[in-house]
Amino acid sequence: MATGTDQVVGLGLVAVSLIIFTYYTAWVILLPFIDNQHVIHKYFLPRAYAVTIPLAAGLLLLLFVGLFITYVMLKNQRVTKKTQ
Amino acid sequence: MTKLAQWLWGLALLGSTWAALTMGALGLELPSSCREVLWPLPAYLLVSAGCYALGTVGYRVATFHDCEDAARELQSQIQEARADLALRGLRF
Repeated sequence: MATGTDQVVGLGLVAVSLIIFTYYTAWVILLPFIDNQHVIHKYFLPRAYAVTIPLAAGLLLLLFVGLFITYVMLKNQRVTKKTQ
Repeated sequence: MTKLAQWLWGLALLGSTWAALTMGALGLELPSSCREVLWPLPAYLLVSAGCYALGTVGYRVATFHDCEDAARELQSQIQEARADLALRGLRF
C-alpha cells in the first residue's frame, strides 16, 4: 500500500471528485423535479451557472496547460542555445 | 471502421439526438422538468467523466503497492553507478 502523503493526496482527490459529482448531479438532475418552494433551492445557484462554471473552468485549464507547455518549450530552447 | 470513426459516429448521433430534443424539432411535448434536465446534459456528462477520471487517479495513487526495499536497493545501485562512471571520467 502507498504510504504517507501519497495516501492522503489520493484519498483527498477521491473525496473531492465525489463531492463535486454529488453536488453537480443534485444540481442538474434532481433539482428540476423538486418543488420550486422547497428550501433546498437556496443552496444552489441559478441553473445557467451549471453550464457556465464548468465551461469557464475548462477554458482556464486549457489556458494553464498551454502556458505550461510554452514555458517548458522556451526553457528547452534557451538551454539548447546556451550549449551551442 | 477505425476506432476514431466509431467514436465520432457515436458522438454525432448522440449530439444530433440531444440537439433535436432540446430545440423541439421532433415535435414532442416534453414536460418542463424533463427539458430542464435535458439541456445541460452534455456539460453534465463531461463533468462526470472528469470526476470519474480524477477519482480513479486518486484511488490508484492511494492504493499503489510500494516496494520500499526494492526502492532503497535501486537508489544505492544508482549511487554506485554514478560513482563508477564519475571515476571513468563521465561528467554529470
